[in-house]
Amino acid sequence: MAVLPPPGGPSLPTRDPVSDAFDRGRTMLGVDSANDAIDIVQLDDETMELNMGPQHPSTHGVLRLVLELDGEVVRACRPDIGYLHTGFEKSFEGHTWQQCIPFTDRMDYLAPLFNNLGFSLAAERLLAIEVPARAQYLRVIMCELTRIASHFLWFGTSALDMGATTPFIYAWREREKLLDINELVSGVRMHTSFIRVGGLLADVPDEFYALVNEVVRTFPRFIDEYELLITKNPIWVQRTRGLGVITPDDAMAYGVTGPTLRGSGVPYDLRKACPYSSYDHFEFDVPIGSHGDAYDRYLVRMHETRESLRIIEQAMANLPGGPVNTSDRKVALPPRNEINTSMESLIRHFKLVTEGFHVPRGQVYQAIESPRGELGFYVVSDGGNRPYRCKVRAPSFSNLSALPHMVHDEMISDVVAVIGSIDLVLGDVDR
Amino acid sequence: MTTSIASTASARPSRGRRAADLLARDLPDAILMVLDGVGEVAVVIAREYLVRTMVLLRDHPDTLYKVPLLVTAVDWPDREPEAPRFDVVYQLRSLHHNDDCRLIVQVTEAAPELPSIERVFAGMDWHERETFDLFGIEFVDHHDLQRILLPDDWDGHPLRKDYASFGEPVAFTHNLEWALPAAERPRDMPGSTR
Repeated sequence: MAVLPPPGGPSLPTRDPVSDAFDRGRTMLGVDSANDAIDIVQLDDETMELNMGPQHPSTHGVLRLVLELDGEVVRACRPDIGYLHTGFEKSFEGHTWQQCIPFTDRMDYLAPLFNNLGFSLAAERLLAIEVPARAQYLRVIMCELTRIASHFLWFGTSALDMGATTPFIYAWREREKLLDINELVSGVRMHTSFIRVGGLLADVPDEFYALVNEVVRTFPRFIDEYELLITKNPIWVQRTRGLGVITPDDAMAYGVTGPTLRGSGVPYDLRKACPYSSYDHFEFDVPIGSHGDAYDRYLVRMHETRESLRIIEQAMANLPGGPVNTSDRKVALPPRNEINTSMESLIRHFKLVTEGFHVPRGQVYQAIESPRGELGFYVVSDGGNRPYRCKVRAPSFSNLSALPHMVHDEMISDVVAVIGSIDLVLGDVDR
Repeated sequence: MTTSIASTASARPSRGRRAADLLARDLPDAILMVLDGVGEVAVVIAREYLVRTMVLLRDHPDTLYKVPLLVTAVDWPDREPEAPRFDVVYQLRSLHHNDDCRLIVQVTEAAPELPSIERVFAGMDWHERETFDLFGIEFVDHHDLQRILLPDDWDGHPLRKDYASFGEPVAFTHNLEWALPAAERPRDMPGSTR
């Protein structure tokens, strides 16, 4: 595993923002600290409660925070979520397995393919079916492209949160190319439903190869460009270094996963630890941070986009031929020419489309590494044609639950920076 | 510490087998049943042993399940009275041993309550609130057990099987009682919260 070199400068100890600000103010005023007459006046312990959100644009959706402030310092923070709750888990119970796929798109709407994949893998494990190698590779390629798109969007918006407009425009420009690929393979730019139980929606068109190879060829330069703008930018570094620190033990206790956990120095990535969908065929590194602050999380995400490009390059080079859907007729639709000649196939086709397939009794927990962390599907089947229960273990939900811990004793203006650094998607939190 | 965390995949037995083995050795009274299927082991444990089990699994060097993944419930209304109606499901992950395990505690419809483990895992706080919100399961000793996803004044617990998911009741002149507040509606009508 690659460990990112600690960036220049010593790591900062946990800060006391009040006395920091006080010292800065004295320096600005030119007060001679040796013999000045200013003392910190201890005011009474009264705190103020402040509502942040639910419509604050920096909160990436409808998140409401109730902050308890002591001057400018956050003494307590209570996130109020649920504004985007849509009851997908209840809807699952009323739809056939294949019909559930479009619901999954709409949870983490910035990385819909991961949700498709997690649900499909869970159902496939219960059905005990194996999808063809080509489908597995294409799943990996599409997911890694989505990971890059998601990280780019995160890069642009979290820089925007802190007042930098240029990265946002740049990141959007490149993300557009990735959405074009989504459109090419599925006809839809965001909610693709491309990955289905048993394989894929369809094989990719011929133009796909050139577009993806173009991405692999050109994107490293764009990432260099982004890093040139931000990585050593003094404002960015000052703003994020030592901010929102979470230790490995705290991160684990809160169930924090993904780049936020790896930023704290824990090299845990489900693509390596429990490989699914042929991830063990590819060589890639898992970047980890060393301080667990917002800046390290930024470095980890930027490095991950490069690793994703490596994975895509290998997958494209070794992309096997063959079908993209399982041949197991329990799940797969009969081929078109058979439907025209065989009555049984026609009936089977009709039954699969209307009634859906039945999934054997059992329960399974399938986790995958989404751009935000561990995305788990706990699926229970009672043998019917609909999931009996499907619980989505959303990475943003657990990551957000650690936010009060991370912003404790930080300045109020830094709360937005910390929220940005854990890459929340409220659709994922609220489901 | 980071070096001891498993980083590569290796051939391994059923997930959760590690937890089942440790409990069978150190806390056999807690185990009511061991379920095995689809490569995963789930242990049904007795409610009164829940907290002790969690602490043991978190701290024992053989398991070190330090990451709380989820708490949820599964509603089996037809199972009562032979068996309790709700399965409360806990999923934990051990980064050190690269394993995850599932624990199940069964609670009845009449007394849907069990001890909170938010003091064992800080991350279980919100998951317990979500389970309370959507299933109406009470976590005793939770510091702030209130709804998390639904509005505070919501009626009922939607993920229970007897909570109708489709067809909101619409009151016409022939069924004006459908306009009643949810608690006063007839039991068998669509959208009844029971």
